[in-house]
This record gives sequence, C-alpha cells and structure tokens, in this order.
Amino acid sequence: MPGVLRLARFQARRDRATLPVWILGISLLGFATSNAVVIQFGDEPSQAAILTLAASNPAFLFVRGLPDGTGAGAVVFFQGFAFMAVLAALMSTFLVVRHTRADEELGRAELLGAVPLQRAASLVATFLLGGAANLLLSVFVAAGFVAAGLPVAGAVGAGAAVGAVGVFFAGLGAVVAQVLPSGRSANGAAAGLVGVAYLLRGVGDALGSPAADLLHVSSAWPSLLSPIGWGQRSRPFTSPDLVTLLVLLAAALGLAAGAVMLRRVRDVGASLVPQRGGRERAGVGGTSFVGLAWRLQRATVAGWCIGAAVLGAVAGALGPLVSQTVSSVAPLKELISRLVPGGQAGLIDVFVTALLGVAGVFAAAAGIQAVLRMRAEEAEGRAEFLLAAPKSRGRWLGANLLIAAVSTVLVSGTTGVSAAVGLGLSGSANGPAVSVVPAALAHVPAALVFLAAAAVVFAFAPRFSVLLGWGMLAAGLVLGEFGELFGLPVWLQDISPFRHSSAMPVESFDPAGALVLALVAAALAGMAAYSIRRRDLTT
Amino acid sequence: MSAEVQPIIETLGLVKNFGRTRALDGLNLSVAVGEVHGFLGPNGAGKSTTLRVLLGLIRATSGTARVFGLDPWADPVRTHRDIAYVSGDVSLWPNLSGGEIIDLITGLRGGADENLRRDLIQEFEFDPRSKARTYSKGNRQKVALIAAFARPARLYLLDEPSAGLDPVMDAVFRRQIRRVSRDGATVLLSSHILSEVEQLCDRVTIIRSGTAVETGTLADLRHLNRTHFRVTGLADPSRLAGLPGTHGISIDGAAVDFDADATDLGAVLAGISEPGISALTVAPPSLESLFLRHYSDIDSGNSGGVK
Repeated sequence: MPGVLRLARFQARRDRATLPVWILGISLLGFATSNAVVIQFGDEPSQAAILTLAASNPAFLFVRGLPDGTGAGAVVFFQGFAFMAVLAALMSTFLVVRHTRADEELGRAELLGAVPLQRAASLVATFLLGGAANLLLSVFVAAGFVAAGLPVAGAVGAGAAVGAVGVFFAGLGAVVAQVLPSGRSANGAAAGLVGVAYLLRGVGDALGSPAADLLHVSSAWPSLLSPIGWGQRSRPFTSPDLVTLLVLLAAALGLAAGAVMLRRVRDVGASLVPQRGGRERAGVGGTSFVGLAWRLQRATVAGWCIGAAVLGAVAGALGPLVSQTVSSVAPLKELISRLVPGGQAGLIDVFVTALLGVAGVFAAAAGIQAVLRMRAEEAEGRAEFLLAAPKSRGRWLGANLLIAAVSTVLVSGTTGVSAAVGLGLSGSANGPAVSVVPAALAHVPAALVFLAAAAVVFAFAPRFSVLLGWGMLAAGLVLGEFGELFGLPVWLQDISPFRHSSAMPVESFDPAGALVLALVAAALAGMAAYSIRRRDLTT
Repeated sequence: MSAEVQPIIETLGLVKNFGRTRALDGLNLSVAVGEVHGFLGPNGAGKSTTLRVLLGLIRATSGTARVFGLDPWADPVRTHRDIAYVSGDVSLWPNLSGGEIIDLITGLRGGADENLRRDLIQEFEFDPRSKARTYSKGNRQKVALIAAFARPARLYLLDEPSAGLDPVMDAVFRRQIRRVSRDGATVLLSSHILSEVEQLCDRVTIIRSGTAVETGTLADLRHLNRTHFRVTGLADPSRLAGLPGTHGISIDGAAVDFDADATDLGAVLAGISEPGISALTVAPPSLESLFLRHYSDIDSGNSGGVK
C-alpha cells in the first residue's frame, strides 16, 4: 500500500497543472451560473417564468436538464448540472487514460512495471488520484455555490452529484483503457461514452412529462440509462436522494474492480482489441501531406460523424415525438401557441435548430482536433522527420487545414443527412425534409473560424495550441450558451463565431454573415500559413 | 584539403539560444564535397541542434549557416532537395506500417529508387508490414535509415544513426555509408561511438558545449594526442614526473602507467631505457583518449588549446 500511495503521489505531481485547471474551471462555471441566477432570477415569479419557458421547450430540456421547482438552488442545478457533469466526466476519463493506456503505449508503464509492486498497483493508484480529484472537485463546486449564496446543504449535495458522476466515469474510463490499444483511441471512445450519457439524459429529459404547474418535469426512461441522469435525480436542492449517488459510486467500484481484473490477466501493452498488421506499401495518396493528414485523421472524423449522425437522428426522429408529448399537456399547449411562432409545427423547428447548433460545436471540435494533430506531430518529433523533405511548412499546414475543413463539412453534413432521414421517416417536417441539410451546413463557416484560429495559435505559440485551441471552443460555447444568462455585454457575446451562424430552420440563411465568417477564417488561415515559416520547430 | 572548392556545409560563428541556455556558442564547421565527416560530442554538446539549424528547422540566433551555398532557413525547400536526414530520436506514426512510412518520406523527397528500397529492406532484415507501434528502437531506426538511403542524395545528415542497431545491422549501415560515399555523396555523421567514426570518417570535428574544439583528419588529431605507456621494472618510477611531457602517472605494483605528449616522445623513451625494465606496452593514441581528454571536466584544464 505505501508503494501505491507513492505512485498516486507521483501521478498527482504529473497532473499538478492539469487537474487544478479542470477543477477550478468547473467550479468557476458553477459559481458564475449560480451568481447569475441569484442576480437575475432572485424572486420566485421570475424563477417560475424561466422554468415554465423551459418546460414548454423540449430543446431546452434536451440541452440543459430538468426543471425542478422554484428556488435559486433548483434553478441553478437545472441550468448547470448537465454541463458540469459532462466536464467532470471528461476530466476523469482523460485522467485515467493518461495514467494507464497512454503510459503503456509510450513505454513509460514498463519502467514502473519493473518495480516490486502488484501488476495493477499503478491502476489502483490512478483510482486513488481520480477519487481524490473528484472529492476536491465536489468541495470546490460546493464552495462556489455557497459563495454565490445558495443553501449550504444543497450546495454540498450538488457538489457530490458532480463528483459522483466524475467517479463513475473514472471507472468506465479505466475499463475502456484496458480494452483499447492506444491512448488516443481510449480517450476518443471514453469521450464518446460521455457524449452518449449526455445524449441519453437529453432524450429522456426532452421526452419527460411536465407537471401541471409547469415548474417540474420528470424525465422519461432513457435518462435512467445515463449516469448523468442518475446524478440529476439526486435533486440536492429540493428533495435530496443520496441513493442515486450511492448507485453511481457502487457502479464505479464495480467498473474499477473489472478494470483491475482485466489488468491482472493481460500482458503489459496488450489489449482486448488486438493490433492488426499493416500494409507493405503506401496506398494512393500515401506519399503526400494531404494523404497523410487524412490517414491520421480519418478514424477520429469517423467517430465525430457517428456522434453527429446520432445527434441528427435524435433531432429528426424525436422532434415530432416531443411535440406530441408537449401537446398532451393542455396548459403547455396553450403556452406554446402563444410563445413559439408557428405553434406546434414551430416547436419541431426550435428543437431541430437547437440540436443543429450542438452539431455545429461537434463540427468545430472535429476541425480543431485535426489542426491540433499538427502540434502532436511536432512535439513528438515526427514533423521534423517530415519537414526534412523538400516541401514547405506552409504546404504541410495547408494540407492539415484542408483536412480539418473537410472534417467539419463531413460532420455537419452527416448531421444534416441523418436529421433529414429522421424527419422524412417520421413524416413531420415543415416543408421538404432535405432542407435540414443546408441548415446543418450553415454552421460550417463558424466552425472554420475556430479551426483557423487554432492554426494561428499553433503558428505563433505552439506550446499553448492545445490549451488555447480547446479553450477558444469552450469560451465560444460559454459565451453562446451562458452569455445571456450571465448578462454579458452584447459585444462580448458577439465575439463567439457561433453567434453569427444562421440558426436555421428557425432563422433564415444570412449569406452576409456566412461570408464574413468564411473571410475571417480564410484570413486567419493565411496568417497561420505565413507565420509557420517564421518560427523554430519546438518540442 | 581542396580549398578552392566551396564546402558543402559551412557554418561561421553559429549561435543558438533556447531561452537562457546557449546550445551553440560560435560553432564553426566546414564539410568538404565528398567527405565523410564525423561530428563527435557528448550528449547535450549541440550536435542535434547543429543538424536542425543546417536543415532550417530552427533558426540560428546569430552566425551563418550555408548548405550547398544556400541559407537553409531562408530556403528550406531548395536545400532539402538533395538531403537525406536521419534524426537522433526517430519518432514514427504508430498506426502506419514501416513500409508506408518509408514510402511517405521517400515520396515527399521525390520517390524512392525501387531497387534500392527492396535491397535495403532485405539487407536490414526489416519487416515493412508491422505497425510502427510495435517497433523496437532498432526497428524505428531502420525505418529512418531505409527512407534516407532508398533515394540517392548529395548530402546525408545522420544524427547518431546507428543507435539501437545490433552489430550485424551496424555493419549493413556502414556498408551503406561506404556505398554513398563511393558515389560521391557527402556525409555528416554525428556520433559518440568512436570506433564508428574511426572506421568511416575522413575528417572529424569535435564539439563541446556548442563550440568546435578540434577539427581535422584523424591523422591530424592523433598527432596532437598523447601516447599511453605501461612500463614494468623501473627502478624509480617517481623519476618519471621529472621528464618533459608526461601526464597521469599511476603506479600499479611493479608497473607504472603514464601518458606522454607526442612532441616529447624521444625524451621519454630515453628516460625509461634502463636495464631493469621487464615489460613495455605502448598504445597508439586512440580517439577514445582524445575524446575523454576533451570531455572530462577534470582534464579540461590542462588540455592545451589546439587550433
């Protein structure tokens, strides 16, 4: 055990910069959300108003969560919990994969495998670190809520709910890391599972049945399949239910035990999904920058496309179902016909629009990931190998940007096609179902701005490109999703490219906005291609 | 050396700073057409940094670097056209096979010579089908070497290229160096394996803390070096200290070890010729001792500045 503790301390030291950023970031989001709610929705009537508005809008329920009565705490939990839970889950899966599969892949695990400790010692140490990180996260989240003026008991419960979701995903991430052969694939699959958890909760909540007072919604069964849904059921500010959190912790223990068992019986470096042999010669395009970039990125793009297809299918198939559910509640139906332009039919559009917006974020993320691949190539020494060839850096950057742009188009296009199929099959589209394809593609210009901006950071400050690349997307997301809630000035909200995309089909297409975004993206890309020649390659 | 022909590589007062660390400190290096030039130095001396500057991957803080008479930073594409490079720490794409990576690199350089490629894969006993994730260090090195040698170049920049190769593969590597050298190519071979440099190189530059401390042919350098003596049966070994040019005297029972400067060999030989001696070993100056003289900090004080 002292050996395990020593390993855990060592892992914590490796994460000394990463984990504080995650923990402080998540608690800060919690604090800012509660602060905004306390200031803007301090009194009961305004709280009731926003809850009613949400209950009447399944898109809102899908993205955010379940309204659970008035009271600042309940409103904060409804607005912020799902996002904080997703972040805690990602923090935990990345943490676990970093110290398990990624270490094995890079050969570092072998160094530790030679010390006189149990084979699974390092994995157990990682669980200790994951548990400690989520405990700390719970404390900080609770502290943030209390600081913003929420009741202490509820704040502690809410913090524990966020932490419990994190702990669950630490266990799940460990199992994934045992099964898949590389750090990258394990991270991708684990993040995908986090997405699935969010999606299942979203579907469950969107299909949930609103209470007669329109202040509460109880979710439908899909939410029970999601750990985030379970965390949400703990309802810390209204009727605390610790059992749900204990279920999460028990599941986490089970997953952790499973991972330890898998680790005990397998060779170091081996995985359940075996390594396949490669081809002897490069295929068509295998000798060019573009071919290489595509080769390296295609599996990742496929992953994003699967996510996008699911999202599109949900948008297309669920829209009609949602509007039926809503219209079965008489007072809600009345409210909608007043609030939503176009009433019942318009409701489907609102739902589809919201989900296409989320798909736009997916597209941007896929593009950013493709751009950041260059940084990995550089930091791990492969760029040096490539760029010793008589080809310019500008071409290398251009090839990668091209593949990044193709990725965003593919992800957006997949969303659109899958939504069109869903709408077509359910026969409930307003107008031709195909029109949802251009609606999905309308988010491409904004996504391009993100990836071009990431390329500029890569060209100027390569060591910060991962942090800033994802940071810009996070900032864009917070500005877009929380900007109005936080009451941020309009010019600040307008920095986010997402604000300038046409939110189709609710809004009509704005060619000028799309053109401006495309021009900004092109200018940034040009700047990156110009500047990349002017710096040293750095590891 | 052929002074009238422009050197393939020429650096003058090359300085490279990384933040506050000075990796290169006024490095002068000149490599003539067609020579195999050894670039010797301990870890962290600046060998890899020099090669990266020569490729224009990083920019010199000051000083000039010319390869084929071109500035590699200003015009990397033209410079690289005739260069084959093997980096010090070969890092590959884990999900591509070795064969694919060889095709990628040679393809970017303009295409492999198919016969060469096939022969090299055979000679290096390399399996091009496995994913790079599964390669050992030696196999990763083979990928880089095959990619470098499978297309003829005018200049080969090799950064500790035989690291991780077993003796058989090392012999294959040396054969390739001799082949390209016979074909008229120039090779800059960074290494700290002295036997490799002794066997392959025409001229050597020794670098330490970012500065070239010695450069010349092996014969030149040997001339500057000390000869090692081991003598048994001297009546009064302590007398050796009084002879000119003797260093590092150590008594080992009846035997005594010491080094002597080349310039004082005559005096030393006369000094030790006495009736009682029963055994005498004289070792020729090896690059090894030269190397140690330049690298060990203890000795650095009395290694008289050599130009």
